[in-house]
Amino acid sequence: MSVCIKENKIMSLVEAISLVADGDKLVMGGVLTAREPNALVRQLIKSKKKNLHSIDGAHSFAVDLLCAGDVLGACENSFAGYEFDLGLALNYRRACEKGTVKIRETDCNILLQQWRATEYGIPFMPMPRLGGSDLLSVHPEFIQMQCPYTGDPVTLVPALKPDVAIIHAQFADVRGNVKIMGPIFKDKLKATIAETVIVSVEEVVSEAKMKELQPTIPYYLTTAIVKVPFGSHPTCCYPNYAYDRKHLKEFVALSKTEETMKEYLGKYIYGVETSDDYLTLIGGEQKTSFLQSWKQGKDQWMEVFK
Amino acid sequence: MIPDFYTVDELVIVCLSRTIKENDIVFNGVASALPFTAMALAKMTHAKNSVFLGGLQGAVNPVFPFLPPVSVDQAFSQNCDFSIPVDEVFNMGNSGKLDRIFFGGAQIDKYGNANNTVIGDISRPKVKLPGGAGAFSLSCAAKKFTLWSSRHFITEAARQQKNFTMTDKVDFITTVGHVTPAGTRKELGLRGSGPDLVVTDLGVFDFEPNSNVMRLKSIHPCTDFGTIQACTAFPLVFDESVKFTVPPTREEIAHIRKIDTLNIRKKLFDPMRLELKMVFAH
Repeated sequence: MSVCIKENKIMSLVEAISLVADGDKLVMGGVLTAREPNALVRQLIKSKKKNLHSIDGAHSFAVDLLCAGDVLGACENSFAGYEFDLGLALNYRRACEKGTVKIRETDCNILLQQWRATEYGIPFMPMPRLGGSDLLSVHPEFIQMQCPYTGDPVTLVPALKPDVAIIHAQFADVRGNVKIMGPIFKDKLKATIAETVIVSVEEVVSEAKMKELQPTIPYYLTTAIVKVPFGSHPTCCYPNYAYDRKHLKEFVALSKTEETMKEYLGKYIYGVETSDDYLTLIGGEQKTSFLQSWKQGKDQWMEVFK
Repeated sequence: MIPDFYTVDELVIVCLSRTIKENDIVFNGVASALPFTAMALAKMTHAKNSVFLGGLQGAVNPVFPFLPPVSVDQAFSQNCDFSIPVDEVFNMGNSGKLDRIFFGGAQIDKYGNANNTVIGDISRPKVKLPGGAGAFSLSCAAKKFTLWSSRHFITEAARQQKNFTMTDKVDFITTVGHVTPAGTRKELGLRGSGPDLVVTDLGVFDFEPNSNVMRLKSIHPCTDFGTIQACTAFPLVFDESVKFTVPPTREEIAHIRKIDTLNIRKKLFDPMRLELKMVFAH
């Protein structure tokens, strides 16, 4: 929401993540196993950020990894898991059960209205009456009232404003214009309402090329741009690459205990110097071309999910 | 290939599909293998003009080469008619324009309240579940919804430990049914009319209009009344109209196997129960 105009917004991962303060309210781009900002998440862990408060919709690996890396203090999300493919997000589960992450579970639609209130510059939004769910006891800030015009039962939900948004996209230019290919989810709204907007991208393109593409998120809303190819790995970022099911399967297996999770964090986060090193670690050229092979047709695409 | 048998996962999908009527606008958000297959099946069979709103990418009428194991993927959405932002789906739910939604539940009680949040007390959770995504708000506002479970059947050991999916009281109400400790839907002032059908791996249920309690409507051919009662924590309500579930057609089963070529649907079921092959009568 704070306008940021600079000639060049390109930063390193370390510089960009240094803009995040402990305790910040965080939103992340993408949804479930699609286009999560996982390189930025890895850097949040490496930079030892603490006590972040996630206010977000349905996510998978990003939330699970933030829990594993002890970055989250509270999770106000609507869903965290791998659906029926790989099941529960075990690090998220463990953090909630141990009480290290405060459970502030919410609902996609409610959260959307709370973001919208911020977007519209108003302190709350009314919704058709919400009732009967124990989620109301998690959110005593929701207020029941009758509509002053019609008398209809409504529920008021307060505006929620993220301090920081981290997003991964396909393209940006140096000024900070961002182009998202495929579904945008709520990424544009998140960039509109967050105070600081950090975007990692597959590719930095010229301003002329961006003009051709037409940006999804305008430059005056973004704070930092970081070039990180495969920055959503292991979630998908089409058309560049598909979901890395084998990597996620290994991750979920190592998530069973804190000890085995430490191995994963040591190998894929703390022990990694550069984004290129990360790509080598996950399997190098062989892996990256496999994740790009979905384009070759149905049979090859199905291989990705086996 | 013309199928000569079907299994319980396929029967559940056919039953879910039958809850969709022609011209219905139908949505499913996350954890979608069974609803997405059912929605695609309905569009190929009895509800060709139903509107299939798929997942958080807002895919309208997707026709996919294979069902991927996760609900937001280009393999699922690339051949849709067009996509809408997901908030438009929620807007339609809020304003009463979604005819049917599918909600699963780790626990479901006799009034159709479902739990997707936590096993145990939320202040000291035994198991933190993934969460309901948009289920709470949509269950309050949307017109009707179908509840489902692929784990109604539980083993003898689970029955002894009272680990029922179809339970007397859910540990946490995420998705709102007909009656809650805070009141009935009417008393709560909720806009939508709540769940009208429940499809499980053992049978199909509706709700008895006076008590709002789940009522056994049909028994799947792979089971019997005694098993359903043994796997259900509350006394089953039924009347003389209870019958066996109408079996799927060969055509329906062939469609399902083509829609879900990766057999994602089977991951949701007890592997033992998938071994039972039900043969077509003719």
